Amino acid sequence: MSAGRGTKALGAYALERLVNAVPLVLGVIVVNFLLISLAPGDPVTALIGEFPAPPEYVERVRAQYGLDQSVPERLVRYLGSVVRGDLGFSFANRQPVLNLVTERLGRTLLLMLTTVVLATFVGVVLGVWAARRPNSAVDGGATGFALAGYSIPEFWLGQILILVFAVWLGWLPAGGFRSIRAEYVGLDAVWDQARHMILPVLALSFRYMAITTRLTRASLLEVMNADYILAARARGLSERRVLWEHGLRAAALPIITVIGYNFSFIVAGSALVETVFGWPGVGRLMYDSIFTRDYPVLLGILLLVSITVILVNLVTDIAYALADPRVRY
Amino acid sequence: MRTPLVLLALTLAWSFGHALAQAETPTPGGTAIVVLGSDPEHLNAAISTGYPIGAVGASLYSALVYLDRDGVPRGELAESWTVSDDDLVYTFTLRSATFHDGTPVTSADVVFTMIDVLAPNHGRFLNAYRNIASITAPDDATVVIELTQPYAPLINLLTVFEAPILPKHVFEGTDPLTNPANDAPIGSGPFRFVEWVRGERVTLERFDDYFLDNALLDRLIYRVVPQDAARSVALEVGEADVVWGFYMPPADLDRLDANPNIEVWKGLTIPSLYFVFVNTDNPALADARVRQALMFAIDREQIVEQAQGGLGEVAGGPFGAGFAYAYDEATDYRTIYPFDPERARELLAEAGVGDLTLTFVYDSARGAFAAAAEIMRDNLRQVGITLNVQPVERSVMVERVYGRDYDLSMQSFTSSGDPAIGYHRIYLSAERGANFVNATGYANAEVDELLNAAAGLADRDARAAAYADVMAILAQDVPTLPIFDELSTQAAAANLRGLLVRFDQRDGLEFAWLAR
Repeated sequence: MSAGRGTKALGAYALERLVNAVPLVLGVIVVNFLLISLAPGDPVTALIGEFPAPPEYVERVRAQYGLDQSVPERLVRYLGSVVRGDLGFSFANRQPVLNLVTERLGRTLLLMLTTVVLATFVGVVLGVWAARRPNSAVDGGATGFALAGYSIPEFWLGQILILVFAVWLGWLPAGGFRSIRAEYVGLDAVWDQARHMILPVLALSFRYMAITTRLTRASLLEVMNADYILAARARGLSERRVLWEHGLRAAALPIITVIGYNFSFIVAGSALVETVFGWPGVGRLMYDSIFTRDYPVLLGILLLVSITVILVNLVTDIAYALADPRVRY
Repeated sequence: MRTPLVLLALTLAWSFGHALAQAETPTPGGTAIVVLGSDPEHLNAAISTGYPIGAVGASLYSALVYLDRDGVPRGELAESWTVSDDDLVYTFTLRSATFHDGTPVTSADVVFTMIDVLAPNHGRFLNAYRNIASITAPDDATVVIELTQPYAPLINLLTVFEAPILPKHVFEGTDPLTNPANDAPIGSGPFRFVEWVRGERVTLERFDDYFLDNALLDRLIYRVVPQDAARSVALEVGEADVVWGFYMPPADLDRLDANPNIEVWKGLTIPSLYFVFVNTDNPALADARVRQALMFAIDREQIVEQAQGGLGEVAGGPFGAGFAYAYDEATDYRTIYPFDPERARELLAEAGVGDLTLTFVYDSARGAFAAAAEIMRDNLRQVGITLNVQPVERSVMVERVYGRDYDLSMQSFTSSGDPAIGYHRIYLSAERGANFVNATGYANAEVDELLNAAAGLADRDARAAAYADVMAILAQDVPTLPIFDELSTQAAAANLRGLLVRFDQRDGLEFAWLAR
């Protein structure tokens, strides 16, 4: 098979996956809509505040946001507007949902993508290091780290990091996504933002570093016993080339799978980490919207997050094909 | 003793701001960062009763009046006002003031804001509006409010939290709910709007044409810090300068107090009463003896010390410690209902109640409620009552409690400077299902009559007599179990001077300045 045909097949596969994702996304919307509608709690109560409002006022607010209609009516209307690219209007923020979410999605993606890159890099390096000398002190350390990382909840780790690095040592800011007292421009602004990212990214990535470390180690140990590794060694290749070019490439498949899988969990983790660090992203918006029962915002965030996860999984599958010549579409 | 406590607290409030300020000369300049617990949804305080919007709005907007440290109404936009002999016509004379865009504030702005923006959209103002027959502007500097019946709390409902004044020329002919000025507000307060980064901060700067004494700070930044522990940390590491009372985790106060760079203040400004609603739909709880038994059985002192970290005082009456005229020492609840499990058991036996199981519903976000629930569960077990504790999310709590699907529920209420605004509704008989009114099912025609009379009396002594009668009836009926009055707290950077918290929640940041 020529490279050209392979790329074409991959393109067709990607397109097919995207088309298949449409009913999936619709399903996500319907399920989320119904789940939110079934949950107890009235958005109008949250909107009005804590005082006795006359019934006519309550009814007017209810009608204003279309909440006087039945659930199926509202669902059909919502699907209709989503198809037109309109994610609705936030009850609480009195803003179009799309504006509200896109404004913050970039900040959340910055946090998430940095986390994925860091967790993958550190996890693979530690995993390889541990696999090269199984049962050594390095291996024991990496395994211990993996176990700890897997057991520590993000929000707790976040608070401990703040205590140590912001309160005790004073090295890093305790929260926010940039300095508020001083305004920076150019490179200084980039550095300022990077400093604000260090602790939330660490808190968010620790668990995924651990998972990746464990997986890399296990996968590589298995691969390194395979016949073709023996053959590569027999051909006189250096151990470094055997490991990085032959071993890791084959061991990478489960690692790539887990990156896509982790991504959806990082979405959930970011809501906690954003709250602990006051990072103004969609996770925080989601948290606030749950309490105000701001359904359009919740649905909008869940929709965009679902699309992101579907896209990341698609990219993962494509990376799979590129990493493993045996995979054909 | 109630009054001395209030005086002590108010004195503390005063001294926090002024003892420091007296020693040095206030100097203008600098930036102060004030913590908000959540992002404001928009910045139009006339269409919302949300706290973050009101907090920022208090610096951006002005109103006809404000309440001073003693809770006495003073003129803000109104230079003075007169009340007719029949208590029905209030005539306000306005000062010369300008909005942040340079246009003058006139009586037309006041009338437009009240009728077209506040009345349809601001629930608390609506309560006043229902007693208002007309609001008119005979000339540019005069506003006349005519009532349908005497309504004593009116003045308290004309402060910046209840009735901020918007520019008519910006809002006229538009939908006030979606006007772009909701995100880039124009007010006439001591600070003007500069920038809002949603989820992060709202930046204001001093308005140099403010109609009263100009503020001292150059800039005021309201910063959103959603997690309560992170708010104390922001103060400790210098990323924030002020954290207001209820955003403060009580557990952090001792640590902050020990920090020489931080000034911690405790006092009673905005009266807030914590109590337990009792659902009289439950046949056992419909018997007043059972409700009295609950009062004897619950160790309110323990709740103040352990659930509230000592930041409170056991409640003496149904209207809280904030209103001296709505309290009668003769029927102090602490004297009538000491902690006495033995007496509780006797009353339960008299009522023929044994093996009672009660559902206790509360808002799960309120840490003090959770701790109090555990103490009450333990207290009530001593008298043979099983408490089934159910923490639920706030919006679910509202549905359960006002739909009367509960037995006991812990709540806290404030009353915006007048008992008639916040507390009357708890005891007035009401329809089932209406939110934030009487949720206990208690109905007493005499109480209704006395409370309605009290709301119409401008004379404090006459009101006091009506409240003394109500208090005596409620002390026997106990449809709610008053637990404690909350003490407010506030922590601020020690170099931020001149801060004072006013009675009407207006933060008084226009008086603050930075010592260098």
